[in-house]
Amino acid sequence: MSEKHTPLWRLLALGMAGTLALSACGNGDDGGNGSADGGEDIDEAEAEVDGRDNDLVIGVPLDVQDWDPIATFALAWSTQATSVFEGLVHRDLDLELQPGLAEDWEYHDDTTLEFQLREGVEFHNGEPFNADAVAYTFDRLLGEEGAQGPQQENYTAIEEVEVVDDYTVIFHLNTPDPVLLTNLSGYGGVIVPPEYMEEHGPEHFSENPVGTGPFEVTEYSRDNQTVLERNENYWDEDRIPELDTVTFRIIPEASTRLAELQTGGIDVMKEVEISQIGTVEDHDLLELDEVETPTVRALRFDVDREPVDDPRVREAINYAIDRNALIDDLRDGYGVPVASFQSELSFGFNPDLEPYPYDPDRARELIEEAGVEGEELDLYVPGDDGNAQEAVQAIAYFLEDVGLSVNIESAEQNTLNTELVPAGDAGHIHWFGWGGWTLDFHNTAWLLYSEGEFYNPSFADDQVQELLDAQRESVSEEEREEIFHELTEVLQELNPDAPLYADVYLYAINERVQNWQSPHDDRLQLEDVTVD
Amino acid sequence: MAKFILRRLFHAVIVVFVISLLIFFSIRLTGDPVAVMFAAGEPSQQAIDNLTAELGLDQPIWVQYGIFLRDLITFDLGTSFRTGQSVSSMVAATIGPTTLLAAAGMAVAILIAFPVGIVSAVKRGTVLDFGGRMFSLIGISFPNFWLGIMLILIFAVMLGWFPASGYGTPQHFVLPAITLGLILSGILSRLVRSSMLEVLNQQYIATAHSKGLRSWVVIFRHGLRNALIPTVTFMGVQFGGLLAGTVIIEQVFSWPGLGRMIIDAINARDYPVVQGGVIVLALITVAVNLLVDLSYSILNPRIKAGGSDS
Repeated sequence: MSEKHTPLWRLLALGMAGTLALSACGNGDDGGNGSADGGEDIDEAEAEVDGRDNDLVIGVPLDVQDWDPIATFALAWSTQATSVFEGLVHRDLDLELQPGLAEDWEYHDDTTLEFQLREGVEFHNGEPFNADAVAYTFDRLLGEEGAQGPQQENYTAIEEVEVVDDYTVIFHLNTPDPVLLTNLSGYGGVIVPPEYMEEHGPEHFSENPVGTGPFEVTEYSRDNQTVLERNENYWDEDRIPELDTVTFRIIPEASTRLAELQTGGIDVMKEVEISQIGTVEDHDLLELDEVETPTVRALRFDVDREPVDDPRVREAINYAIDRNALIDDLRDGYGVPVASFQSELSFGFNPDLEPYPYDPDRARELIEEAGVEGEELDLYVPGDDGNAQEAVQAIAYFLEDVGLSVNIESAEQNTLNTELVPAGDAGHIHWFGWGGWTLDFHNTAWLLYSEGEFYNPSFADDQVQELLDAQRESVSEEEREEIFHELTEVLQELNPDAPLYADVYLYAINERVQNWQSPHDDRLQLEDVTVD
Repeated sequence: MAKFILRRLFHAVIVVFVISLLIFFSIRLTGDPVAVMFAAGEPSQQAIDNLTAELGLDQPIWVQYGIFLRDLITFDLGTSFRTGQSVSSMVAATIGPTTLLAAAGMAVAILIAFPVGIVSAVKRGTVLDFGGRMFSLIGISFPNFWLGIMLILIFAVMLGWFPASGYGTPQHFVLPAITLGLILSGILSRLVRSSMLEVLNQQYIATAHSKGLRSWVVIFRHGLRNALIPTVTFMGVQFGGLLAGTVIIEQVFSWPGLGRMIIDAINARDYPVVQGGVIVLALITVAVNLLVDLSYSILNPRIKAGGSDS
């Protein structure tokens, strides 16, 4: 399939070259002549890299925008910031929690957590890391400044951070928080330098960040690029970066990102689109790397609306959709069918739960039983998401095949998610993508199924609520896992949504790059990466 | 002249006022910035209220507008909701790349359109004229998004002559400026052609020819100069369109300009950045049109700026 793309594409481009060159000849413009007589001389540039030595350039679609950890929730932030900032806990590329700025920790009880901090660590500006820096970071996060940003809410379980001595702190919690350690590995939980922050203020910090990480920011130009340099004083001698510099270039347009990769302008491209796979695979010097992600795409129902208030109709829709066809035909096979609103990377994933099989006959039976044949359903989709648009076209076909009628409505992504969905104005069904970066089902399940939550205007079920509350109050992994497994089974019975597939993200890499490992969670970790 | 400029400055103030009104209220129709900022979390009502108050969004809308206008008069464009940076500094960082790009696009358009238009007019009805008109038709028909991607494929990926995207060196200007300029040159060459034709049919041209002046002298000194007036007016009007065109070009070529900043800000409901960016774009457009009006008197001394009502 993908092999067919290239000749057609090249033919089109060559045709264009001819047209342009001809038009250029006619008017004396010297920008495009010289190649009018033939496509044969046109050769793909060899993705050769000029002027770069021990340096890596990564093309990413989105900018950090604000480096201040308390002011962001963007995945694009953690893509770059993971190299710059560190938390007490470090989450490695295999998603395991490891000691970070804390060497060790211990729960005295469910609500008292003691950390032993690492000694001899310095911020990039030379300021020492110690218990005061930890206390300052969390005072700031949980105080007035933090209240103006989106991160505070993830850390409200923390009542107080007590400084015991220079390298010991105790977190006093007001309630058990099973996801706290994970939360301490990123975003609002990363440690900022108190003196620097006090001296320069948050506005300066948002463009001139200072952390303890393996790289330091030496240049930041918004929506343009960030340059990181190796932190020679990094505390972990085994993880001092091999690279001299890493440059992140912000290139929003996917086709431009690919062009930069093909011409050697960048070494790594984040977010390769499905339609670009063939080009990458055909290129001698480029490699495609795929990685599973926690992001799940699903259809969600407004269970207050007829006819999807009838569980039989929701079950029918789950049977009616051929998930494998969506993945194979629209996504070239890059996607994993899911049975609940989480991928297998998520804590709480139930390996025994199978996704609904494609069974249009069963779906027709259920539709008939419910007496809703021919009823029209409004299906809302983000108009600026091409993948979603394609998928809902196919889904409309599947639903019409079993006797329902579908009316597709487009809305801009932010409008859909933050205005229409919360207000219950997103039709009978809406497209929704979600991936909690904590990789714990709590984040997703609470936001989507707990009664009255922002993203959940209509679904309410006592058993679901009990299970959600129970896992939230426990810090026992075993107990929580069991609860989540039960929860996923209950949800599959109730069908508040139709989970479709988990995303697979694609990176394209120049072969000069060695030891590259694509992250599941957008957090690039580049200490081991080398270039030829 | 001074009176004319003063009057135009007064017009500019009215334009900016009207635009401030439009942009202030229309951006508020796009949705609640607080909801977007908290989109990934589980905020309490308290947190939502706090942020709403912090951003001043809890005030009655007319009060908000009053504050916005008051700050605008002192050239304070406010603070970005999303980055905490002053909008003035964000605009200052992006206005240069955008105006340079628009100017380069205009230069490309002029360099292409004038030769094509003049040759078409002078060689009216010949193959050259046909070629010129075909060119302008093609230019008008190109979507600039597609053209940009095509130019990248051909001149960066295949030929390797220019960088595919980015900002910094003169080479970086070539492809975006051609993309922006080529489309405008299509329309512009048509206009040059028709203005030239009109002028070339005037009696004084025939007189000049009959005096034995060489034909290129006639064409340039007598013809082109008079044909310039409608063309320059058109270019002034088009400069606004060109600035609007940079929004897409900046996206395609990852150009760190004002257009991209505004688009990002709209998506994030970052009201102050959208307002500030749009108002600055409006000011540039007003300023360019003022310059265009002033240039008439240089092009043709018989026209005095502001003389129309004397």
